[in-house]
Amino acid sequence: MARVSLVWLERPGLEGLAPELVARAAGVELDRGGLLEAAVVSGPQAAAPPGLKGRLLGKPVVWLDLALEVGGGDDALRLARAALAVARAAGRAALGTLPPVYAPQPAQNVLVAGAGLAALSAAQEEAALGHPVLLATPFDAAHVPGQDDDPQEVSLLAARLPAQVELAPGTELTELTGAAGGFRARLAGPQGAGWQSFGAVVLAPPGQWASSCEAPGLDPALTQPVWQLRVQEVSGPPDGWLYAAVLAGTARPLTADSFARALRAALALAERPRVQVVLLYSEARVASDHGERLFRQCRQAGVLATRVAPGGLAVREGGRELAWPDPLLGQEMELAPDLIITADQARAARPAFLDNRLLWPSWESLVPDNPRFSGGRSSRTGLYILGALRGTAPGAARRVEAADAAAEMHERLAGKLVPMPVVRDKICARCLTCVRTCPHGVPRHVVDSIHCAPAGCLACGVCAAECPAQAIAPPGWSNPEMFAGLQRALALAAEPRLVLFACQNSALAAAGELSAGGHAWPAGLVINPVVCAGRVGEHLIMKALELGARAVLVAGCHEGNCRSVTGNLRSRLRAGQCSRTLGRLGLAPESVQFLHLASNQPRVLAQAVAQMAARALEG
Amino acid sequence: MVNTPPSTPILILGGGVAGLAAAVDLARRGLACTLAEREPALGGRARDFCCKAVSACARCGACRLADLLAEAAARPQITIYTQALATSARPAEGHGWQVELAPAGPAAPLPIGPGQPLPGRVSLAAQAVILAVGPQPFDPAGKSSLGYGRVPGVISALELEARLVQGAWEQRPAPAKLAFIQCVGSRDQSLGRLWCSRVCCGYALRLARLLKASRPDMDIAFFHMDVQDYGRAWEEELAGLRREMRFVRAMPGEVAAGAGGPEVVFALAEGKQMREAFDLVVLSQGLGPPAGAGALAQMFGLARTQDGFLGRAEEPVAAGAAGVFVAGACQGPRSLTESIDHAGLAAAAAAAYVASTKGAGRG
Repeated sequence: MARVSLVWLERPGLEGLAPELVARAAGVELDRGGLLEAAVVSGPQAAAPPGLKGRLLGKPVVWLDLALEVGGGDDALRLARAALAVARAAGRAALGTLPPVYAPQPAQNVLVAGAGLAALSAAQEEAALGHPVLLATPFDAAHVPGQDDDPQEVSLLAARLPAQVELAPGTELTELTGAAGGFRARLAGPQGAGWQSFGAVVLAPPGQWASSCEAPGLDPALTQPVWQLRVQEVSGPPDGWLYAAVLAGTARPLTADSFARALRAALALAERPRVQVVLLYSEARVASDHGERLFRQCRQAGVLATRVAPGGLAVREGGRELAWPDPLLGQEMELAPDLIITADQARAARPAFLDNRLLWPSWESLVPDNPRFSGGRSSRTGLYILGALRGTAPGAARRVEAADAAAEMHERLAGKLVPMPVVRDKICARCLTCVRTCPHGVPRHVVDSIHCAPAGCLACGVCAAECPAQAIAPPGWSNPEMFAGLQRALALAAEPRLVLFACQNSALAAAGELSAGGHAWPAGLVINPVVCAGRVGEHLIMKALELGARAVLVAGCHEGNCRSVTGNLRSRLRAGQCSRTLGRLGLAPESVQFLHLASNQPRVLAQAVAQMAARALEG
Repeated sequence: MVNTPPSTPILILGGGVAGLAAAVDLARRGLACTLAEREPALGGRARDFCCKAVSACARCGACRLADLLAEAAARPQITIYTQALATSARPAEGHGWQVELAPAGPAAPLPIGPGQPLPGRVSLAAQAVILAVGPQPFDPAGKSSLGYGRVPGVISALELEARLVQGAWEQRPAPAKLAFIQCVGSRDQSLGRLWCSRVCCGYALRLARLLKASRPDMDIAFFHMDVQDYGRAWEEELAGLRREMRFVRAMPGEVAAGAGGPEVVFALAEGKQMREAFDLVVLSQGLGPPAGAGALAQMFGLARTQDGFLGRAEEPVAAGAAGVFVAGACQGPRSLTESIDHAGLAAAAAAAYVASTKGAGRG
């Protein structure tokens, strides 16, 4: 076994760590510039000074991005994490057989930025899974809830926060880059601002009430939103009635949660003395717990529930009179209420750093409206967006999100299932196509090379398909390996040879079901599984044709269903480009096709393959 | 009794999407679990749900079953028994449960998908139990005025899904005139079912759009009380749907057999009585408490919600008995995606419970 030295490169994020202490705690020698047997370096290869590479030539070296390992927190904690990482790396270097590798370990610590139920639940769940958590909250005390949270539930949760949760009050997250296992976050707090490293980040800013847009021109003196209503102060005059109008989505239907809040307000008002309540709504959104019962209780308590067409509420007399057509009576109704209550909805402001389009995709791409991105997930692996910011209803749904996010994050940072794209530095032209196209934000351009977040990759292969230099060689599914696989399979296939590139999230499952049911595939069909249709670029399609395929079918998920957000659309675009190229060359453009389908649509796949086979036989 | 593990950290009853999601979530947390499914195949009702994408994903979540099956099969921490029925349970000494599992019917000739049939009667010690037995869709025959089982051409929404999964109208033309009747067995005081089933507007409108795409001249009437909310882009989607089909705000009082197909009797908002014939009438049945809710509640000493679902409405996953948790739509009406997410919290709660009892044992 080789003797291992620690080569210390002073790097951002390692400030305040004494190299001697780290080396001693890790049980290795600190390098003083002599000849080395084996080494652990505290920074990536790109950061090495010129002389160092010469001294290390041919020796087993582990290039450790120590800053990522160390993360934030107090100095003792950082020293312990640094020593642990160096000791682990030294174990590998000491074997003496490894070629020089750059193998950053994913950082394990988690930043939870926010307040209220969502943030506290997330902090609690992640700490329970053994991750050090920094809870950065804009408030002085962690238990200050969002306006939309139940204060009692939140303070109970705050009181039970485990010891692994470090609290940073009065602290805001002002900048964020990176992906799972390697986030850099700039936190501004009472002690100033600074960058820290984290393995995962949870954004859960506190929710604030916003009034729903009901009708323009309401008299502000009469109008207040649900959250400001102090129902105990409302009562009718001794000799008559107080008329209260509750507007519950008159311009546009509400969410079930907002509607239930409006119903509760209406019910509370109806129980006050000499108060008559009129509830105006366009759709009764009763799909919340007890929503239907609440709606019924309102009517039983004497609330006049009246439906208006969306936008059908007219405001007159300087905002003091409401009018709407009643279809049942066939006439216009009028009401001059003494009090107008408008519905409300919880919102949270989006952090400003997400507006930086060089570092972040649009909100729609970051939090896609896609059934595979539920449970707090965002398209940036390791980043979870919860609570009011995501638009999740207050209460239980936020705890659900926090629990789901924690489990996903825990497994991702454990790194057992996470592949690692390898960027061949000598071929890479630094064109940044991968940085631009990776749907998960994994590659970053640092100094003068491409660095990949250590736990962020989903192996979709979009980068490998898009890289014009073919410099990205993910082990097992690099272009040369896939070409070789295609060649072997096509050599065995009968004429006419057909290639199906099958996305594992849709087409592969459908093909599996067909095969299990004894489906008779065309004799010349080669099914090439891919993690995402996005892996299939022009190189692969054209190679398949070059190797003798008569037709190529790329089958991916439906639009809006891709696990890599737009991998399927990229692939569809590439297939179209190949098809046009073939047309320009005087070849059959229809021999390259793209198919959208879902895993439970095997017949769609069977039909498309049969059509492809029929066309190939004709041509 | 041989070859079977006598104990498991966590036992999950039910192998539908919620049960599978709970198992996968526990595995993510590094915990082993045993999943017991009554049927020969995993997947529950989601197996009969079709993909509702037309030009883009309709976000119904039916595709996530395949993801879950693949994930559950790939994880060594998950032991799966099919055709396994819990027959009795008693609290184990200290903490946890001793659950008796018995084979449900003769073993299927071929194993279907992941898991193996329960080899015989098994007595399993579990530190925690997650119930993910799924909801029971309302039987439309229970609302006899709507003609289900009596008037030809009246089918349930689940039957429509199954027909679409089997490709019923791929070879022959789809019906030209179709009615969807919403809130069958939900929001209905006469049946004592005072809850909104949450999912029916979404699935019915998506099915309607799917059918309409296969036959653009199809005339679809959508009888409803209110249209519920289905996520971010729903209002915009709804505006498009309103152009494609007739939204009739009326709850039909009767569906009668007629010469030209089932006839729907309803009243318009202004009070006018109408009678209209359709080729096919689809009853959008609501979700209700699981069929075996009473037996399960007795077996584990569980609480039930006001509506008869398992657990307590105000507590998302607690079942009202120590070490027992509920996941998915057996706790209240939930969509597929919501059930999958909910199961994650049940898994977290079960994991926390197991960890806390371990600590108590040491201390």
